[in-house]
Amino acid sequence: MFGKITAFELRYQFKNPVFWVVAVLFFLLTFGAMTVDGITIGGGGNVNANSPTAIIQIHSILTLFFMFVTTAFVANVIVRDDESGFGPMVRSTRVTKYDYLLGRFTGAFLAAAIAFLAVPFAIWLGSLMPWLDQETLGPNRLSYYAFAYFVVALPGIFLTSCIFFVVATMTRSMMYSYLGVVVFLVLYIILIATAASKPEFRELAGYLEPFGRGAIINDTRYWTATDSNTLLPPFSGMLIINRMIWFCVSLVALVLAYKRFSFSDRGISARQARKQAKKAEKLAAVAPVTAKSLPSANIGKAAWSQLVSRTSFEIAQVFKSPAFIVLMLIGLFNATGGLLFANELYGTPARPLTFALLTTLMGTFGIIPVIISIYYAGELVWRDRDRKMHEIIDSTPLPNWAYMVPKTIAVACVLFATFFVSVVAAILIQLSRGFTDIAFDQYLAWYLLPLSVDMATLAVLAVFVQALSPNKYVGWGIMVLYLVATLTLVNIGFEHPLYQYGQTPNPLFSDLNGNAVNGAYGWWMRLYWGGIAVILAVFAHFLWRRGTETSLLPRIKQLPRRMISSAGAVMAVAALVAIGTGSFIFYNTNILNEYSTQDDVEELLADLEKKYLKYETVKQPSVTDIKLAVNIYPDELKMDASGSVELINDTGAPVEQFHIRIGDPLLNVEELNISAAKMELNDEDLGYRIYQLDQAMQPGETRTISFKTSRERKGFRATGNDTRLVENGTFLNNLEFMPTLGMSRNGLLNDRQTRRDHGLPAELRPAKLEDESARERNYGGNVDWVTTDITVTTAKGQTPIAPGKRVSDEVRGERRIARFVSEQPILGFLSIQSADYAVEERNANGVKMSVFYHPSHDFNVETMLDATEKSLAYYQKNFGPYQFDYARIIEFPGYARFAQAYAGTIPYSETIGFIADNSDPNEIDYVTYVTAHEFAHQYWAHQLISSDQQGGTMLVETMAQYSALMVMKQIYGEDKIRRFLKYELDRYLAARGSEAIEELPLNRVENQGYIHYRKGSLAMYLLHDRLGEDRVNAMLAALLEKYKFKSQPYANAVDLVDGFKSLARNAGEQQLVEDLLEKITIYDLKAEDAVVKKLADGRFETTLRMQSSKYYADGKGKETEASLKDRIEIGLFTARPGIGAFGKDHVISMERKPVRSGEQVIKIISLKRPDYVGIDPYNKYIDRNSDDNVVEVSEI
Amino acid sequence: MLELKNVTHIYGNGTKALDDVTLSIPKGMFGLLGPNGAGKSTLMRTVATLQTPTQGSIQFGDIDILQDPESLRERLGYLPQDFGVYPRVSAYDMLDHMAVLKGIASKADRKATVETLLNQTNLWDVRKKAIAGFSGGMRQRFGIAQALIGNPELIIVDEPTAGLDPEERNRFLNLLAEIGENVVVILSTHIVEDVADLCPKMAVIAEGRIELEGAPLDLISRTKGSIWSKTIDRHELDSYSAKYEVISTRLFAGSTIIHILSADDPKDGFDAVDGGLEDVYFSTLAATRRNTAEAA
Repeated sequence: MFGKITAFELRYQFKNPVFWVVAVLFFLLTFGAMTVDGITIGGGGNVNANSPTAIIQIHSILTLFFMFVTTAFVANVIVRDDESGFGPMVRSTRVTKYDYLLGRFTGAFLAAAIAFLAVPFAIWLGSLMPWLDQETLGPNRLSYYAFAYFVVALPGIFLTSCIFFVVATMTRSMMYSYLGVVVFLVLYIILIATAASKPEFRELAGYLEPFGRGAIINDTRYWTATDSNTLLPPFSGMLIINRMIWFCVSLVALVLAYKRFSFSDRGISARQARKQAKKAEKLAAVAPVTAKSLPSANIGKAAWSQLVSRTSFEIAQVFKSPAFIVLMLIGLFNATGGLLFANELYGTPARPLTFALLTTLMGTFGIIPVIISIYYAGELVWRDRDRKMHEIIDSTPLPNWAYMVPKTIAVACVLFATFFVSVVAAILIQLSRGFTDIAFDQYLAWYLLPLSVDMATLAVLAVFVQALSPNKYVGWGIMVLYLVATLTLVNIGFEHPLYQYGQTPNPLFSDLNGNAVNGAYGWWMRLYWGGIAVILAVFAHFLWRRGTETSLLPRIKQLPRRMISSAGAVMAVAALVAIGTGSFIFYNTNILNEYSTQDDVEELLADLEKKYLKYETVKQPSVTDIKLAVNIYPDELKMDASGSVELINDTGAPVEQFHIRIGDPLLNVEELNISAAKMELNDEDLGYRIYQLDQAMQPGETRTISFKTSRERKGFRATGNDTRLVENGTFLNNLEFMPTLGMSRNGLLNDRQTRRDHGLPAELRPAKLEDESARERNYGGNVDWVTTDITVTTAKGQTPIAPGKRVSDEVRGERRIARFVSEQPILGFLSIQSADYAVEERNANGVKMSVFYHPSHDFNVETMLDATEKSLAYYQKNFGPYQFDYARIIEFPGYARFAQAYAGTIPYSETIGFIADNSDPNEIDYVTYVTAHEFAHQYWAHQLISSDQQGGTMLVETMAQYSALMVMKQIYGEDKIRRFLKYELDRYLAARGSEAIEELPLNRVENQGYIHYRKGSLAMYLLHDRLGEDRVNAMLAALLEKYKFKSQPYANAVDLVDGFKSLARNAGEQQLVEDLLEKITIYDLKAEDAVVKKLADGRFETTLRMQSSKYYADGKGKETEASLKDRIEIGLFTARPGIGAFGKDHVISMERKPVRSGEQVIKIISLKRPDYVGIDPYNKYIDRNSDDNVVEVSEI
Repeated sequence: MLELKNVTHIYGNGTKALDDVTLSIPKGMFGLLGPNGAGKSTLMRTVATLQTPTQGSIQFGDIDILQDPESLRERLGYLPQDFGVYPRVSAYDMLDHMAVLKGIASKADRKATVETLLNQTNLWDVRKKAIAGFSGGMRQRFGIAQALIGNPELIIVDEPTAGLDPEERNRFLNLLAEIGENVVVILSTHIVEDVADLCPKMAVIAEGRIELEGAPLDLISRTKGSIWSKTIDRHELDSYSAKYEVISTRLFAGSTIIHILSADDPKDGFDAVDGGLEDVYFSTLAATRRNTAEAA
């Protein structure tokens, strides 16, 4: 009996649409994450997409999402019979409670478990897709999938099944069951958040985290890429116990459900009975309004009410269906998570500005409307037939249009409502974070309307497909194929928007520039696809099944006759619209602009590298002066530039040829004048020219090149519309508006897979540190020290900005004209910006500081000015004079997320510092951090520029990080710096596992961000701490002095390492410098336990037992232990360092003590009783586990 | 009123569901009697414009149904043999929705229509209940209620009494009788009593052909003298079947009463009986079977 009931339940669930919808949804989610760039769940870098770690991570995250699904399955078991009225019938049979309840539960649980198999299947299938980077894939081993499914997913599904089975049994209500899920999730998130903020709870969390994720994270925290790719997590004690605990909890829940379940109806409460009686009474009291003769129909006049009634009827049917509720909950859950953390940086939240949330909302909610439109198109088209209502409906005088039209409108309305709910969720999140400046217009115009139209277009396709399909399953199958095909086609080069049904360009939002980049283009595309959708809709209308005949052929035969009708006229108009807009779009994408696929673009870059990279080392004269006149026409999206460049041959040898590169395909070079030279090569496609000089340029000789260029955005391109020259917020660098001298690696392909696909070596590595010839070029694309004189004009309402001292700024007619002059040489790396800005200014230490910002982004302007002032003060005191009398920060649209240092001029993206929410003092103030970093580049880059070889970025980025940390230390005090170091440490440790080539020591860093930023900060902080801030700064100042504004030979990492070595006063310090700068060194410092005892003299003696070790790692992460012998800080505190308001007052003592490998016991005597004690408590060392450095002190 | 001429329908799989059906159906109740699979539903659906016949013409008054199905639909009330309901929709709302579909545009008219019909079909008290929870009889009454919306001139009810208990069946037939005076009502059924009780005119359909057509009383009188009855032991049935043309058997108090068709007195203990409509029906079916067997 049990088996039969289980089997019946399983069959029932298989027929339930929820089963198929979620199976497809989870398949698509996973498949998308595996195969589409930009969607990732775990993995990355050297960790393979199908590595055991990635498979397990995907399983555990999706198990959490799956809670909504298991609840739908198991709660349905309880609720179903009451809803259908079958309950009494079933329960009065001889079936036992055990068979009935547990049989059904087992069936429902198995259905959920089977539906979840879509996930491993999608991973496996995804890993076979030909366009994936084969380097990011490992072998597919059954054991990986089995572990993930049976150890991670299945127990989780069982647990949620049991828990929500109890909830459903007790409440007998679907709604309360879902409420239960929400409560469970909230509790779960609180548990996770607590464990994240309190490392001491990590172990406990490992046991208590219901899905086993905590235990697995604990077991694999410091795995390298190789480990992650090849090992399954150990089936450790913690994991086993965790699984046992939650299996028991599941069983207890199940027993509880069994106990609470009763066959007999519990009977309604007195209150409900009264309510029902009242309702019945009320119903009975109303007499029907009867007519002697029934009113006659007037079909001609009923069109409007038929449309409204049919539409609202269909909408109501969708809203009431359980699958809709499940889909919405999953979507909202995902979106909420995304929105809460949107634009977070350094763990600090961003203000939830509407424009910034919309992209996140689209990314996290987007798949739900896709599923809804496809799924419900099928449901709606087939509803009458599925419900056996079609004979009745089809024999009514309902006009034929009243089938397709209301159903399509209904899907569109459902989609609009779906999006609307997500908007409400987003607004609630904004309000909950105290943000009230909600841009309703952006929600409507940038999100609700366009996306509803996009999804309605998709729904029409689905309706059309369903109208032609022999049944709805075939229709759904075709639509899923269509979805997979759209992904695949783009990947194999068929990417023109005119044949990608329903495709509209990715929108780019900004408060500065609105939706200007792709906004209008998007609506043209919507009009075009709208026309095609109407054609499809009319076809669907013509081919609609009416009556009991289902075969397609007779309907197709009738088609020509039916075309001659008003619907046919609609179709003709729609066809005209589609042809008209399609031609206009084609004109824009293929005639006004050159249409090229991603592959074409990559091919060009590959050709450029193959043909011309060999000229990288051809010696070219240096630029000494640049004179420029740049005119920007924001309204016309046009700019032109003319100018001249003075050259000097400082190569020490005659120069025969000039190599000119035009680095941006959007740039037109209209004139390029080099006197007494012949153009020997002009590669228009690749933007490369070679001029043969009539007479070689002799050493010391000067020459002039003059040029005229223009750049214009004409209409719109199919993809890659210019985000640099825009309506408001133009930001161009010199590569984008003028030709450059000499070949450099700027802009070449760097994705390893792409490079290999195009026959290039997987990576271009810089010259070795030992290569002295590399010191002839600098790491900034070999730009020279130049004087500049730049005049920028723009529209009257905008502010033009370029590097240099602003010597004039005036409005003449409709133009604003400003001239910027740099008489002292600056790096010839130039930026031109123009937008409608508000300006905040401040003068300090002879420097005029300004922030140019979008008028509504004034949140952090003062913080930026403070940071600039404090940074410049510290740098001037410690590194030497600041070379400018101005310091500018200029906001640019958030199309990119960075800040970049030009001479005294710092373009700063709107989505980083400008919208950061600094209100929580416990978070990292990255606005100050980033600002300090960028101004540090005025020294480290704009005074000293390093050579183009290994270690080059150490002198630029690492030093900027160090400088910024010193500013932070000034502002926040030494004792609060731990949170910065900890952040950098965690990033470093996490990123080194994802290294794609090899990890290098700091002095050989090859532009690897996690090394030169993250590890660099840690190394520099520890060195300054050990060697003395003043001594380090003096050494740095001397280094700056030596290389300041100097051309070749450029400084390299050896200079800096030698500088640090010169500061070492003993062997220990010498060793430390080597370990930090020339080796990959990982420490493991751990405080085991500590006890305190009150001494007779009233002081306290703390005994700390600790464990220490040191390892050297090679480039692949293989470690060998080395002997540790160092002096490391031991601190006594009254609060845990780095958390909450911890500061100076909580420090009892902090002193370096000798520490060696292995276990060690240290006794410290203090006046105050410590609560916490730790080794390296501020995490200055690169410690593989930085959370076990501090322990709570216990009493003896 | 409703004229079918040479209507033939062949399904895609080759089944000849209607074979040269010619029928003339006047105002009033018309019974279409036939066993399961005889083509009743095909015929009903064809008249209800749900499918187009392979050949033939159908005329309702001035309307050519095949050329102008829209006009017929405006005059049609149809209760299919088997229909479902939407989940979570009450009788009132569903009927209101149907009224819209049938073209009752004004709200007041719809209210009058819906409430009158709910009252007439005795569903007023349960109007707020979901139809999905209705009993078979209630559901059929709802079915007829929707068929009556907008005063149809042609009402087609396909097997409406199948599965109803006697009381429900009575109630349903009474309802039909009330409306069947001024309009054409086609009642298709395999239950002889339905026709006998209600229909002044009828036809028997079997294997897609109209085998018999006329007024029940005429048809009964035509059988006079050809139906014979005998009470036998049920073990003897086989030998009687071989010997005589048995058109029906019925159990009564443990014995079997058989009716046979015979132009002359078969003797052998048979008594002449006054045939009922049932005998007419069964003898027609027996004749059809005989013909088919011979043809094969």
